[in-house]
Amino acid sequence: MTSRRFVQLDVFADRPGAGNPLAVVLDAEGLDDGTMQDIARWTRLPETTFVFPASHPDASYGIRMFSPRREVPFAGHPSVGTAHAVLEAGIATPGDGLLVQEGIAGLLPLRVQGVGRARTIAVRTPRSRVMEVAAADDARLREVLRSLPLGNLPPVLMEGGRRWWLVELRDEASLRAATPPWEAIAELASSTESMGVCVFARSADRVYFLAVRAWVGAPAQFEDAASGAANATLAAWLASRDAMPGSDGRYRISQGREVGHDAIIELHVDDAGEVWSGGRVCNVVSGTIDW
Amino acid sequence: MTQHRYLQLDVLAQRAGAGNPLGVVFDAEGLDSAAMQAYAAWANLSETIFFLPPTSADADYRIRIFTPRQELPFAGHPSVGAAWAVIDAGLVDANKQGLVQECKAGLLPVRVEKRGSERLIHVRTPRATRLAGGEDFPDLLRAATAGLPGGTLVPALWNNGPSWWLVQLADEATVRTMIPDLAAIAALTGTSEAVGLAVFARTDAGEHDVVVRAYCPADGIPEDPVTGSANACVAAMLQASDALPGNAGRYLASQGREMGRDGSIEVEVDAQGEVWIGGRVQAVIRGRVDW
Repeated sequence: MTSRRFVQLDVFADRPGAGNPLAVVLDAEGLDDGTMQDIARWTRLPETTFVFPASHPDASYGIRMFSPRREVPFAGHPSVGTAHAVLEAGIATPGDGLLVQEGIAGLLPLRVQGVGRARTIAVRTPRSRVMEVAAADDARLREVLRSLPLGNLPPVLMEGGRRWWLVELRDEASLRAATPPWEAIAELASSTESMGVCVFARSADRVYFLAVRAWVGAPAQFEDAASGAANATLAAWLASRDAMPGSDGRYRISQGREVGHDAIIELHVDDAGEVWSGGRVCNVVSGTIDW
Repeated sequence: MTQHRYLQLDVLAQRAGAGNPLGVVFDAEGLDSAAMQAYAAWANLSETIFFLPPTSADADYRIRIFTPRQELPFAGHPSVGAAWAVIDAGLVDANKQGLVQECKAGLLPVRVEKRGSERLIHVRTPRATRLAGGEDFPDLLRAATAGLPGGTLVPALWNNGPSWWLVQLADEATVRTMIPDLAAIAALTGTSEAVGLAVFARTDAGEHDVVVRAYCPADGIPEDPVTGSANACVAAMLQASDALPGNAGRYLASQGREMGRDGSIEVEVDAQGEVWIGGRVQAVIRGRVDW
């Protein structure tokens, strides 16, 4: 049994409890796959990550990510949170404002801006593409959209590592008041091999430009508190339609209030068309883990 | 935001990962009820406890117990973890063999036993009473246990705070290979206002005397890995039937292997007929929490 540094963080959060929790085991050398999976099940958090020395010369550190059930090749909030933990622990320092994470999906850059509590970290997300633009009266979507007042853009199925249906709603009030039609979402997720439905609406709030809700339909049905990947595909979709809010390709979104959270995610579509998804991270638990 | 000492324990476990996790927040005077509930929801452990100065002169310490959804007046495995933690933190005399815990349900005696380098904790559980027999719910009970060869004891509904349906099965193999009909169990427990159904059998293999599994599908928990209250009810039923295994009212129960855990619960029925449950505790995470 070895003592390793351990932190539990709140990602995409301006205050503890607002965002998406993440456990990070630093100094993970020596842990085998089965042990990492056991720890990730025991923490009962959406994801637990493990930090290793980099094996690639261009990488700042190595990372493995596990949900309670399986290893995840890439996910946004664990990447952002782990970069924060690595910086706080002094394991790596950014070069030209960038860290490079080495995961089982390959090398991925993270951009670090600001310092201390104002520091934000954004991860470059996998390229996403439009799979299919659907008509508002598409038979497969009928049950999902039945009670939702639609906005300007048509529903779309996006692929960006994971697949999401993106649906614009008329206004923020309708979005916040909506009750997810779980049965129809589950059916749609299974029949289109997608995560589920991500709805969004434009907002007049001063802090954020869009309100977002992400409804996962398969294998389990739940509402996600802060979805880095879904929001990245949404930014790519808006950019492709010349419908980005904000300025200079940057905007902030609000997600999670309907499930007791209050996450803020910052999106950036750069000149090369790459989408960066990020935000702030709060330290909640700091200590050691013996396993 | 305040800083507190923090422990995350694995309770009723002979090694890390085998038992039931418990979050322990010390020095919680600065947190109000809403902050405790918000932290317990964010941490997502089955229970998180908060240490407070006792209000009774007879108590050694006071705790409040929260699940992610609500506060509990009493629960077995959090109480075992609390006594272990209060000694580990040096807040009470480490040589005391008896402690008094104050919680919402009142004052509760705790027994501390040193075995070699380990410290075992036993808590007295509320008195159990028999509420109903299987004959009161014949069809629902038959459906919930269809195809399972039964033991010699007649199934019954017992209460020691929560109510449990207790069903003895023919042997250990029947218990371990059982594929629960969760819909039928939910129908039975819902109709009879029980928290769940526990099955058990005698075993002579290895160090354990009884093997137990507990299902609470109506509560959103298909199967619980390590269940103090269900084990205490099983002991009361065995005692009432003059069928206690082990020596001098003491036996060891095994639970959770079918879920990848390996809980070991020490059960004792004392001369006064009180049921004590307890076991070992592993400290997994040590540090501080900012909340």
